[in-house]
Amino acid sequence: MKKTGIFRGLAALMTFLLSISVIVGNTLESFSSTIDTALGTQSEMMVTDDKDAVYDKFTPPAELLNEDGTGNSHALIQAAIDLNREQAAEGTVLLKNNGVLPLASGANVTLFGIRSQVPILGSSFGVKAFGGFINLDEALQNNVTDFAHHITTSLSQNWATGQVERGYTTGEWSGDEFEFDGAGYKVNPTMTSIYTKLNETYLHTENAGPAEEYDPGEPSVKEIEGVNANFKDSFAKYGDASIVVIGRPSAESEDYLPGGIVSGLGASEPLALTTNEKDAIALAKECSDKVIILVNSASAVEIGELKDDPEIDAILWIGAPGSYGLLGVADILCGKVSPSGGLADIFPTYNMSAPAMQNMGNFSYANAADVITRENSSNYIIEAEGIYVGYRYYETRYYDAVLGQGNATGTAGTYASKSGWDYDAEVAYGFGYGLSYTTFDMEYEGEPVFNVSKNKDVTTATATFNVKVTNTGNVAGKKSVQIYGQAPYEQGGIEKSAIVLLNYGKTGLLQPGESEVVSVDVDLQYIATYDSSFDNGDGTFGTYIVDPGTYYFAFGNGAHDALNNIMAMQGVAAESLVGEANADYAYSTEITEDTLSKTAFAYSKTGTKISNQLDYADWNYFQDGEVTYLSRADWNGTYPKTYSDMTLTSQEMIDYLNGKYYTVATEDNTSDIVWGKDGDLMFYEMAGLDFEDEKWEELLSEMTLEEAQYLATFGGPSIPGADSIGTVETYMTENAGNGIAVNLNASKDTEAPWNISSEDPNGNWHPEVFGSSPLTAASFNPDLAKKLGEFIGIESLFTGIPILWGPGLNTHRHAYNGRNGEYYSEDPILSGYTAMEFAIGALEYGLIAAPKHYAFNDQETNRAGVAPFMTEQRAREVELRAYQIAFEATKYDTEDEDAGMRGLMISFSKIGPVECTVSTGLMTEILKKEWGFKGYAVTDIYDDFDLYGAVLTSGATCYDTRGMSGFYTDTTLDSPRFANQADGSAISATVFAGDANAQQAVRESAHNVLYAIASSNLMNRYNATTHVVKLNTWWRTAYYAAIGCTAALTVLFAVLYILSKRNKKEA
Amino acid sequence: MAEKNKKLSVGAYLNCLAAVLGVVGIVAALICSNMTITYRLGNMGTIAVLGVFGICLAILGIVFPSRFGNHDYLGTLSVLGGIAVFTAAFGQILGERILLIAGLFSYDSVNTVGWQVFYVTAVAIAAFIIAAIVLIIGAFLKTVKNQ
Repeated sequence: MKKTGIFRGLAALMTFLLSISVIVGNTLESFSSTIDTALGTQSEMMVTDDKDAVYDKFTPPAELLNEDGTGNSHALIQAAIDLNREQAAEGTVLLKNNGVLPLASGANVTLFGIRSQVPILGSSFGVKAFGGFINLDEALQNNVTDFAHHITTSLSQNWATGQVERGYTTGEWSGDEFEFDGAGYKVNPTMTSIYTKLNETYLHTENAGPAEEYDPGEPSVKEIEGVNANFKDSFAKYGDASIVVIGRPSAESEDYLPGGIVSGLGASEPLALTTNEKDAIALAKECSDKVIILVNSASAVEIGELKDDPEIDAILWIGAPGSYGLLGVADILCGKVSPSGGLADIFPTYNMSAPAMQNMGNFSYANAADVITRENSSNYIIEAEGIYVGYRYYETRYYDAVLGQGNATGTAGTYASKSGWDYDAEVAYGFGYGLSYTTFDMEYEGEPVFNVSKNKDVTTATATFNVKVTNTGNVAGKKSVQIYGQAPYEQGGIEKSAIVLLNYGKTGLLQPGESEVVSVDVDLQYIATYDSSFDNGDGTFGTYIVDPGTYYFAFGNGAHDALNNIMAMQGVAAESLVGEANADYAYSTEITEDTLSKTAFAYSKTGTKISNQLDYADWNYFQDGEVTYLSRADWNGTYPKTYSDMTLTSQEMIDYLNGKYYTVATEDNTSDIVWGKDGDLMFYEMAGLDFEDEKWEELLSEMTLEEAQYLATFGGPSIPGADSIGTVETYMTENAGNGIAVNLNASKDTEAPWNISSEDPNGNWHPEVFGSSPLTAASFNPDLAKKLGEFIGIESLFTGIPILWGPGLNTHRHAYNGRNGEYYSEDPILSGYTAMEFAIGALEYGLIAAPKHYAFNDQETNRAGVAPFMTEQRAREVELRAYQIAFEATKYDTEDEDAGMRGLMISFSKIGPVECTVSTGLMTEILKKEWGFKGYAVTDIYDDFDLYGAVLTSGATCYDTRGMSGFYTDTTLDSPRFANQADGSAISATVFAGDANAQQAVRESAHNVLYAIASSNLMNRYNATTHVVKLNTWWRTAYYAAIGCTAALTVLFAVLYILSKRNKKEA
Repeated sequence: MAEKNKKLSVGAYLNCLAAVLGVVGIVAALICSNMTITYRLGNMGTIAVLGVFGICLAILGIVFPSRFGNHDYLGTLSVLGGIAVFTAAFGQILGERILLIAGLFSYDSVNTVGWQVFYVTAVAIAAFIIAAIVLIIGAFLKTVKNQ
């Protein structure tokens, strides 16, 4: 009896374990691509039996390969170190220097601030800096890396204990170390050891994040004394200079918030200096009469008082420099490289003075509980600052203040001014500003060359500015040439910024006395103004307007300098200006209807007539008169108020918010849409073909509607295969823009001749090592951005990734966006050109750089579905302009090829009350028709699953169902994940059977997806013999074994139970 | 020959507890499925059927031994089936909620509604898993007292 019970119980236990094993196995298979990435395994592989004509389309450079053609991991890492160093050296911005910099090699220096030991190298979550890194004290005094003992850390929550803990980004490093030439300083070991000791209790990491109530965690002097009471004794020996590091992190999903700082720190805002930080600076002054501040942040830290402090000798902004970027910072400090960066964002004295700050954070409709039924639709932000984002606000108000117009000197929006609004008090450092160790003479080399041409309806108008730059100083250096413009503004007319960046270039390294002429091409569309009220005469409204009048252009050391130069040309008295001015640096020209028609840009470069597509972005479109947008006609009267507790009264707006967008038709005649046609054309034959090539129609006709629907439904890292055209289920994408987020030894393309074997000593090198996006933008160097794109393209060949979810291309609407570290700048021109160069560079190696998040993802707070309201002018001239430049990529267009990005990720957010994913205006009319985008336009992760018909008919090409695998088996169209449709429809392979529009859209999506892949390095692997094989990863083996063992034991114990029971009966 | 109306023992009470937990699991799954439209369980029907089936099998795991004696074949089959079915219900919920859970523990940690749904989901998952474990423990024990 006892035995029977035991066997029965054991059989029950084994049944349970068997069931669990099966469930675990199914779950692992359904998400195998994600599991592979997380665990560094490879559970399936594309295999091409016939090795002819594979791996010949995109190949890594020869210098990164061994003689046998395999990848040389040492050379690859060395190249990454060199490029990250260059990125940081070119992006670092010298804001202040009274001559203390450069600091000669051999100096004895002391580092202050806990961030001097735990610098912010990357973001928390998002674009982390991974793996072994070079710390500041190493860069300053060492000559070889110590990756084995310096691995970047991030914070994560221990879900067992709930505690936030510090964790290493990668496991131990047992690979190569690398020699470098450091700055040659000697660093005070006392302070280094104190901060190292203090960081045992402080939760600082190299990838840190902001918080709603932020605490920079700078130790007090008392805490320093607690570790070593005699620390000041070391000052005498290491007093050649003090270097203080002030850090503020950046992260996905978290923002800084107005007033969001832990109380008692002596600061009222999270980006203001705390008492302990000021005390660290005071210690630095005590230690040395040479004090250098390093601002280690992607956002504008409030350093106005340091600017005016005569005891602060130098200030450098270093962004988040990446794993090896502190080498570049050291190069700047010791003078190996002269600084040449310019700020990618304006640094106001107080960030709260930005009009955008009046409306950021958490806002919910007052009556949301009564009228909103859809998840993630209750939050909004009113972007009442209009077009005046970043420097466009400060400089335009400055211009009007000097000219005495628009009530610019009123008190509204004053934070640092003593009485009326005062630019000098409100702004610490302007956009584009940066100093050098050398001096340059700049002059126009001849008159700017204007070219206006017309092809049918499309006008192309450019101005080429040739600027001769001469190094007049004593050291070699580079110089950016930033060209700004000003369009004629009529008081009370359409809003116009008094100064806008139009384009930029950069010299090479100029030796003393050397000159170079830099040519900067300006697309005059970017000085035109979007007038949403313009009557197009065809029943539509809104287009770009070139108002006749005097247009001014200027170069300068940033936007403010350029504006001063224009004002000097306009005859404004020098004494009324803040800063210097030189009329010779400005240029003016009259534009009349004869030279450039007022509606010259009414047609986009694709020949599409432009008109309003985003009326619903404006709150007043639904509930007129409730929002006042900032206007330079009356700065004082229109400075934004905080729009809290807005009440929804418009039923149309409520319907949008509740997801009422699209109803699937059931009765359409779809007979002229051909599916499933017999044919022999295979996908691998499409490599490199134009989007318009007629073969695409043939290929698409061979697909079944179900196959096309699978492609559109399951995008993201894995996409389904389609038997009819010979594609296989494929792992395609990875996240981040500072490198590919896949270890070298976890390549998705182990068949590649250059594959780096899993046994390689450097195999666990993780390529996400580069600095944050603002650092790249601050270099004002298109060539550097392209070089970064090319290198990450090369990384993609070694890791087998054809699509990258990056770079981030949203606008720095304000300094408090926690994710600014992933986006380039507050300026769309700088962002757009930098992204374009990056993407074109990446595409040279078959990597599709897909920028995110299209568009209007202006803050992380409530990012899942927040509704930002704005004017269409603002949308087009600020946020969308960056994407437009990147996607049009006119610089690289040739007669034979329409260059441009081939992918994008759509925003979680809405535009007005409409989800970006379902906005046909955004996704089709603007993106595809106006800009000519062709490629992979995917939703953000798991977004808007309840709007299936609306998303797939908007112009979006597919959902990101990130991590799913096993299509047609575990993962099917009637997956419960798409079960809750806002329109009540049931998703299946036949849902669009009677909907011609949806079928056409799905077909178009398949075309775009396949076209994108066909231009990627995935084509290295495709031919007629390509298929997928499953590999035995350890986890697959483990669950197979678990199922086998538990099944056997279940049977065994069941048999023993039966035998035992029989024995008992017989007994 | 069937034995009738035997006195229930510990195993039977554990089966009863498992059945109650099955009810808790179904109710919790229903609640988490109806908290918001976004997080409705697309396979709620399957989960409910599995849950009810598991409850029935747990009860049959009492009924059969009370008629045929401890550790009888039909009772054993019912218990094993109950374990498999409750575990399958857990698997169904896990499969549906894994995206939510993955998001909450990574990019979507500020999703307060998601966390509320997660907590109720955790109750449903725990109920089904504990129900299966209780059935396992019961399987080692007598369902009815010897007479």
